[in-house]
Amino acid sequence: MEINRRHFIALLVGGAAGINATPLPWKFTDDIAIWTQNWPWVPVPPTGEFSHVKSVCTLCPGGCGIEVRKVDDRAVKIEGRTDYPVNPGGICPLGMGGLQLLYNESIRFTGPMKRVGPRGSGKFIAITWDEALSTIADRISDLRKQERPEALAAIDGNPTMSTMALMIERLLRAVGSPNYVRIPSAEETCRMTNLVMQGTEGPMAYDLENADYILSFGSGLLEGWGAPGRVMNAWGLWHEHTAKRKARVVQIESRASNTASKADQWLAPKPGTEAALALGLAHVIIKDHLYNADFVDAYSFGFNNWVSSDGKNHMGYKTMVLNSYSPDQVAEITGLRPKDIVSLARDFAGAKAPIATCGKGKGYLNGSLYEFMAVQSLNALVGNINMLGGVLVCDPPPLSPLPEIQKDTIASEGLKKPRLDHAGSRRYPFSKSLIGDLAKTIIKSPKSPVNTLLVFSANPDFTLPDGGAFREALKKVPFIVSFSPYQDETSYMADLILPDHTYLEKMDDVVWPTGLQYPLYGISKPVVKPVYATKNSGDVIMRLAKRIGGSVGSSFPWKKYDDVLKERAKGLFDAQAGQVHYDGSVPAWKRLRERGSVTPDYKTFDDMWKEIKAGGLWYLPVHAYKNWERLFKTPTGKFEFFSTRIELAFDDYTLKISEETALKNMGITEKGDAVFMPHYEPALSDADRSAYPLLMMPYEMINLASGWTPNPPYLNKTIFDNQLRKDESFAEINPKTASKYGLKEGDRVIIKSPTGTVRVRVNLFEGAMPGIVYLPLGFGHTAYDEFSRGKGVNPNDIIHMGQDPLSGHPVWWNTPVQLIKV
Amino acid sequence: MNFNHALHLNPEIVDGIEGDTETERCLSCHAFREDGTFAGIPKLDKCLECHDDPESPLGETPEEQEFLNKYVAEEQEIPWLSYYRQPDCVYFSHIAHVKMGDQDCETCHGDHGKTEKLPAYKVNRMTGYSIDIWGRNIAGYKANTWDRMKMDDCAECHTENDLEDNNACFVCHK
Repeated sequence: MEINRRHFIALLVGGAAGINATPLPWKFTDDIAIWTQNWPWVPVPPTGEFSHVKSVCTLCPGGCGIEVRKVDDRAVKIEGRTDYPVNPGGICPLGMGGLQLLYNESIRFTGPMKRVGPRGSGKFIAITWDEALSTIADRISDLRKQERPEALAAIDGNPTMSTMALMIERLLRAVGSPNYVRIPSAEETCRMTNLVMQGTEGPMAYDLENADYILSFGSGLLEGWGAPGRVMNAWGLWHEHTAKRKARVVQIESRASNTASKADQWLAPKPGTEAALALGLAHVIIKDHLYNADFVDAYSFGFNNWVSSDGKNHMGYKTMVLNSYSPDQVAEITGLRPKDIVSLARDFAGAKAPIATCGKGKGYLNGSLYEFMAVQSLNALVGNINMLGGVLVCDPPPLSPLPEIQKDTIASEGLKKPRLDHAGSRRYPFSKSLIGDLAKTIIKSPKSPVNTLLVFSANPDFTLPDGGAFREALKKVPFIVSFSPYQDETSYMADLILPDHTYLEKMDDVVWPTGLQYPLYGISKPVVKPVYATKNSGDVIMRLAKRIGGSVGSSFPWKKYDDVLKERAKGLFDAQAGQVHYDGSVPAWKRLRERGSVTPDYKTFDDMWKEIKAGGLWYLPVHAYKNWERLFKTPTGKFEFFSTRIELAFDDYTLKISEETALKNMGITEKGDAVFMPHYEPALSDADRSAYPLLMMPYEMINLASGWTPNPPYLNKTIFDNQLRKDESFAEINPKTASKYGLKEGDRVIIKSPTGTVRVRVNLFEGAMPGIVYLPLGFGHTAYDEFSRGKGVNPNDIIHMGQDPLSGHPVWWNTPVQLIKV
Repeated sequence: MNFNHALHLNPEIVDGIEGDTETERCLSCHAFREDGTFAGIPKLDKCLECHDDPESPLGETPEEQEFLNKYVAEEQEIPWLSYYRQPDCVYFSHIAHVKMGDQDCETCHGDHGKTEKLPAYKVNRMTGYSIDIWGRNIAGYKANTWDRMKMDDCAECHTENDLEDNNACFVCHK
């Protein structure tokens, strides 16, 4: 038979027709339809039983209640809780993205690790917990044997009153080291402000919901300040258009942030001059007799001129403000118009319950002590201290103190040595931690005085606004241990990783969410079983202490971390105050307003603890207002416009050195009595302003993580094209400034400070103050995974860090820069 | 692994399976949860209600021994294969059929509950779904309702019961 073309075609056609008569193509098509739905990369979650776990978010100190929906053992969604007093159902984008921090192997440490590559390379190998614990225990024991336990230092980013912070400091002190160093924060500046003016060391408890005038000095009310779930709910309350409740929000900020754009009024003074503005407002309030004489006359000290016991005349706050902070003088300093200052002051003082808030942006970064004092003095002038709708002075939740730390001779001797960061010294009498000075000490010394550094809940390599100084210091420290669950920049510099659980995998406490106006104690509980071989750092510290043994071990007489939490909570029961159930229909701030009584809703301690663990809550929504006679714990017993504490510290300092030298060391340019009162200190810089004519200001966004927690990739999707495009971040520049350099939208430009350079693209923004370049905080990671690494630049790298007068904390708002077009 | 339904539903051998109708007896293991979702094949916890001690078998079969050694002792869930799992594009609600539609389990699942041995699990190589869904012949000819459970079969039953509205696309393909 011949196979020619005709036969071939016939065969093909016949074959095709024949196949159609068989089941093959029909079954095949049907199967393909289903097969295309089952490709392995098509996400189809397994089915299972639904459950909800209630907990508290600890990604920021805000402490919003969260509800996590689970399918079988997997957490699938985080939502805000409606039955939690802090945040009635609200939650911020970072909180919602929390699951991406839990289930993300590419940014987590799956178990203890030992570094094998060079520092910063991120090359680690897995080791056992036993080996990891032995390595550190042996190292610390050696330091103690060599009688230099102070060579152990710790960096801690946990909130101030949290149990973890107590545990870490306890470990250091039991070992014998005073070098427990905390990450600087606005809360710390608030603490110092309250200490010098009120004698109390509690946080600023702003009664936002009951106030009717919010004068925000840069606080990012919509950028994540305070507890975001709470503040955004308060914002809603302020803007309810009813005759009864319409609060006015005024934002003081150099840039048109979201908060400024949505506020009722926005004023933009030059950055760093906010203290002058506050005192300018004080000037008008005093001059026009708009201040609360009841409070000022009877319960404040230092308002009028006074004569001290040695017969010396002293200038009071009133004289200082009237002489030096007139609207014209302040207009000169701030760039605002005098009439705006006058009307703002009259509006503020004329409100029933005005609050002036401090803490810029999210409130993570520290502020200027004198500036916070100036802002707080406004609250005092209008008599809104400890009043409904004012700044309350509360006691912290009455948690039981932990037992005494056991100290042997080695520990006692070590604790006598001076701190390496000079905090609490004569020069910086009020600061508890100065990480910038720690870095300086390490860099200046030929051999690092820190031998072993432990890092908890912090990523100072990335987050410190110090132009990379801490990174340089890290390079010199012989041994670094990170307890971070995440593969962050500081962990990459570490030699040993003992990863903690993430917040969804462990039990921990939340002691007083930031800025809340009543005491609240929350428990964040595990939502899922630990995904990897991580361990709760609280437990790890106890195990470490036991391995070191001796008095260090006996300072930790608990079996597990949960027991420590339970022990502290006993104090809540003993106080027989506070409740553990929350009825959403009566918000806490309303209960405060109604001044009802609060009776415990539990019988025994075990009942209470069970309920706290279930609901995550103990709170006391009642407050003894006014009480001005007994409130202030200053040497004078009054609110001090003139701080006797500062005066005493200064006198102590000038016993051995001259006043001039003392002022110079403390970084204070003012002289005389003004030194002890809130006043304006111009931010000085050693930079040549003709070479660096512009300023660089970092800013924070609510939808971009800028603290120590990583940024969930979800949030990347919310970043606009003119903030980050591909791998380049944008700098916001006012069109006027940009045109001076011939810059168009999208142009590439180098921003150079005396400390470093970064390369960004230009985003022309009318809301940027002319002469200032704004860079977002949160980009520029060099660790984590492809969603964060290499995207954009980190403004912290070029910050030309100064030191705040009196507190010594970082000044991150005064970086002179120049622009170079690429 | 084999599971003997007939043995477990025999009231003379197994205590505690309650229910007057056969359907109710099925529900004692293949239950509805509180929120109305169907639990499907029970988890190990259900078996542990009786078979809680890996050292003391309740019967004499080698299958039970295997079950106790491999799964109860190790606290491992048994990776059951499902004969009746529909493709992911299908949203099937058990409660709509059993409670609202008043259907018995046998209507769709046949005498599965009376078997002593689990039938062999045959799966389509391409789609990964059981032959009980696709049907045993291409013509779609079936002797019992449970011989094939594709879209046409669902529609057929809806039509027969005067519920043609339930044949709208979005009812099953949400």
